[in-house]
Amino acid sequence: MSTYQEFIQQNEDRDGVRFSWNLWPSSRLEATRLVVPVSCLFTPLKERPSLPPVQYEPVLCSRANCKAVLNPLCQVDFRAKIWACNFCFQRNPFPPSYAGISEVNQPAELMPQFSTIEYIVQRGPSAPLIFLYVVDTCLEEEDLQALKESLQMSLSLLPPNALVGLITFGRMVQVHELTCEGIAKSYVFRGTKDLSAKQIQEMLGLTKPAAPGQQGRPVAPQEAAASCRFLQPVHRVDMNLTDLLGELQRDPWPVSQGKRPLRSTGVALSVAVGLLEGAFPNTGARVMLFIGGPPTQGPGMVVGDELKIPIRSWHDIQKDNARHLKKATKYYEALANRSAVNGHSIDIYACALDQTGLLEMKCLSNLTGGHIVMGDSFNTSLFKQTFQRVFSKDYNGDFRMAFGGVMEVKTSREVKVCGAIGPCVSLHSKGSSVSENEMGIGGTNQWKLCSLDPSTTLGVYFEVVNQHNAPVPQGGRGAIQFVTTYQHSNTQKRIRVTTIARNWADAQSQIQHIESSFDQEAAAVLMARLGVFRAESEEGPDVLRWLDRQLIRLCQKFGQFNKEDPASFRLSESLSLYPQFMFHLRRSPFLQVFNNSPDESSYYRHHFVRQDLTQSLIMIQPILYSYSFHGPPEPVLLDSSSILPDRILLMDTFFQLVICHGETIAQWRKAGYQEMPEYENFKQLLQAPLDDAQEILQTRFPMPRYIDTEHGGSQARFLLSKVNPSQTHNNLYAWGQETGAPILTDDVSLQVFMDHLKKLAVSSSS
Amino acid sequence: MEDMYIKPGNQEQGWNDPPQFSYGLQMAHRPQRNPLNKRAVASMSSGAGVLPTAPPSSNPMAPLMCGIAPPPLPAGPPPNAMATPPMHVGQMRSQRVADTSQSEPDMEAVMSVMNQALDACRSSVKGQVCNEVAKRLRLLEDGWRSGKLSLPVTRRMDTLSQELQSGNWDSADEIHRSLMVDHVTEVSQWMVGVKRLIAETRNLSPELLKPLQSLTRAVQESAEPVEDSVKPDQELELAQDPEPEL
Repeated sequence: MSTYQEFIQQNEDRDGVRFSWNLWPSSRLEATRLVVPVSCLFTPLKERPSLPPVQYEPVLCSRANCKAVLNPLCQVDFRAKIWACNFCFQRNPFPPSYAGISEVNQPAELMPQFSTIEYIVQRGPSAPLIFLYVVDTCLEEEDLQALKESLQMSLSLLPPNALVGLITFGRMVQVHELTCEGIAKSYVFRGTKDLSAKQIQEMLGLTKPAAPGQQGRPVAPQEAAASCRFLQPVHRVDMNLTDLLGELQRDPWPVSQGKRPLRSTGVALSVAVGLLEGAFPNTGARVMLFIGGPPTQGPGMVVGDELKIPIRSWHDIQKDNARHLKKATKYYEALANRSAVNGHSIDIYACALDQTGLLEMKCLSNLTGGHIVMGDSFNTSLFKQTFQRVFSKDYNGDFRMAFGGVMEVKTSREVKVCGAIGPCVSLHSKGSSVSENEMGIGGTNQWKLCSLDPSTTLGVYFEVVNQHNAPVPQGGRGAIQFVTTYQHSNTQKRIRVTTIARNWADAQSQIQHIESSFDQEAAAVLMARLGVFRAESEEGPDVLRWLDRQLIRLCQKFGQFNKEDPASFRLSESLSLYPQFMFHLRRSPFLQVFNNSPDESSYYRHHFVRQDLTQSLIMIQPILYSYSFHGPPEPVLLDSSSILPDRILLMDTFFQLVICHGETIAQWRKAGYQEMPEYENFKQLLQAPLDDAQEILQTRFPMPRYIDTEHGGSQARFLLSKVNPSQTHNNLYAWGQETGAPILTDDVSLQVFMDHLKKLAVSSSS
Repeated sequence: MEDMYIKPGNQEQGWNDPPQFSYGLQMAHRPQRNPLNKRAVASMSSGAGVLPTAPPSSNPMAPLMCGIAPPPLPAGPPPNAMATPPMHVGQMRSQRVADTSQSEPDMEAVMSVMNQALDACRSSVKGQVCNEVAKRLRLLEDGWRSGKLSLPVTRRMDTLSQELQSGNWDSADEIHRSLMVDHVTEVSQWMVGVKRLIAETRNLSPELLKPLQSLTRAVQESAEPVEDSVKPDQELELAQDPEPEL
């Protein structure tokens, strides 16, 4: 077991990949019977400080429909200078520059430790990074001031040659011309009128009206840069832009009593997308939208300006009573797709106490790899620091952001790719490795990630093709290659290639080997992504039923039990945690909308389908640590029985960090023991979880909410709502009162859940 | 240095707003020492209702609801619970003591460096840009004169000007960034001028930089600068031994 764990960890560290199964079943039927599909979580740009990129082009297989990249799995004839593609078996001569290779003089890409390798390939002129700020001015004075300062601050964090632009909007939309001299000019658009890309580009003077028939013609970046007065290098315009931002005023249009301000978010975005489309197609760019409320007029409006009509709730949506939902969603989806085609990503920074329309607008970020950040106000540390971290740098001093990513998946013949789930769009590339059977975004082996960072992680789902009567012969290995082309933040064009292989196993005779190759953490996250993907289009209960069915089937397949005897049910170590992951997933905000607004659900799901395995698993089953006088800090069960009076608990749910002081600890603190020199140890005990929480706070993106509370405090509800309710008001007497804290809930506990699961798993009728 | 600190979030505007880390602290952040990523494992297959047995830490004092027993006194070696040392705290405190005892940096010295740098730029940089920078330097001077700038800002500006004199452009630029992140409200109006000044002087030929560098010496002789043209790795020593360098 430990060897598989080591293997899994090593693969994640080296290749950024975690497979649900690390041995693959040799036929389609056997694969189906394993319930959890052969699939993986893949982090294309995983940070690899020890992996210096090589400065040459990858060598490709010469077969036109293969073009796999030369890799350590290829067989090489050093004497004949020929290599055999391990995907299509084509024999390829090495290019002339490889004439000197031999067994002892191998290029990096043939060495086993370079199963992941990165190539720097410079084609064409390098393009600067582009940032277009789209700023809502219908904010409270304090909020607007804080936002202006954050934007001014960001100019100091941007690289000097980055291009910046500014669009502000309220009732009207203003595109600001950025020049170093003269009077500030801006172009004003009405917020109610939808305009085509061409109209916008013409109005902004981006296209020459002389050539109206050529709207699709790509403009060379330099030409556009020279002519585009709206996007200028930071080092040229920073002084004027700082002043311009400093002088921004709240939207001047009066807002009468009982009304919402008129906010033309839809048109503002349309102008932003149209501007970039015209000036910088197919170049990495980031639209950063800052909003303090919902769109209230024009195309894309989410709610009217009458305050007495509240913004849609889940209840309204279920009752089909959300008037603007479909139209607005469709509008933003169209914008998102246009933006994705051009390789531009859209971030949404929404800071308001009420909903801002993230449900309708989420596709803007989800399809383009943009960030969504949700806060209460721009004048909070949550927003300010999260925004700063967008511009954080890696160990080389390069921004942790990349643009224009295209990920291609190549497979050996026995495997086909069913789809991917993550912040990407399909490139509709129907190669021979594409399965008919779609999971997630399928029907392609290429996906576009307009913006990605070192933590961006995709779930990729596969199927085994071989028929049951013609299984893959034993002893072989199946292989998958991920080829990710992207624009590095230092503007280089790079290609990262990861090639992995796994052994085939006969599911009849080697089922135990297959079982022990199960990565339950990866499997939980991969199944959860499928669940969340379904939840976008299906009813909540249907998704839960689907997940339950999968879990029962998995337990039937791998559990050891006597028929009809639940007490005999056992799961091996490699599956032992899986049921509890599913239990917590069922209760999570990714599948339960109760107590969350539609915006919140969209926000949580947005982050869930892009984070890496560790973070995703924290979201599914939060981490709980206990600090006490009885030993070093230790992980404890996420269970009401862990809530004890003489403990401090630290819970990390990804979106929240909760420090909850037990009853006795809280009383000691109130009595001020920590101030007394002889109780220095108590002071240190109080400090320890704070220090550990700070460690998490310093790296997490986005910044989590931070809750410091005590048992019985109203905010302790964050802890109580996450722990397994093993003790409730219903069974309190059964357990006696000494341990833990009873939870007032009718939710099923993990114990009850497990009992049902066992019953269903051992039953011959289910 | 005042640049390593954590301040509380804005609880009035943001519900459970997290604390805010200063730029210096964010930059100095090292990989997590003990990542909290473990989970306790419940024994699932051990039959129904696995009520976890009361762990050893179950509290002997729980029934004492009236009148609490005191926390246990440390007996022998302190428990490992406190193995995680509080980060930076000692260091930060001693530095703060050192800082508060410092006098206000000399505005004239800082401004003369800035203005000299601007003069050096005049021959090669567009006049309009120079005027824009000059405008912002005046804002800085006015703000400083009228007491609108806080001590942490003026002290960091002092260090920045010394780095500028010595031609440590990256370091000066880094200080500018730390000021923008930590004190944006105070500095946003004029800092962009300083930023541009750093960028422009960086491009000047050594010839043009000579007056600026000779000024360096003059200033150091005339107005003893405050101690801290600190390199990050010297911080600790300085903090413990706040001896002005001459």
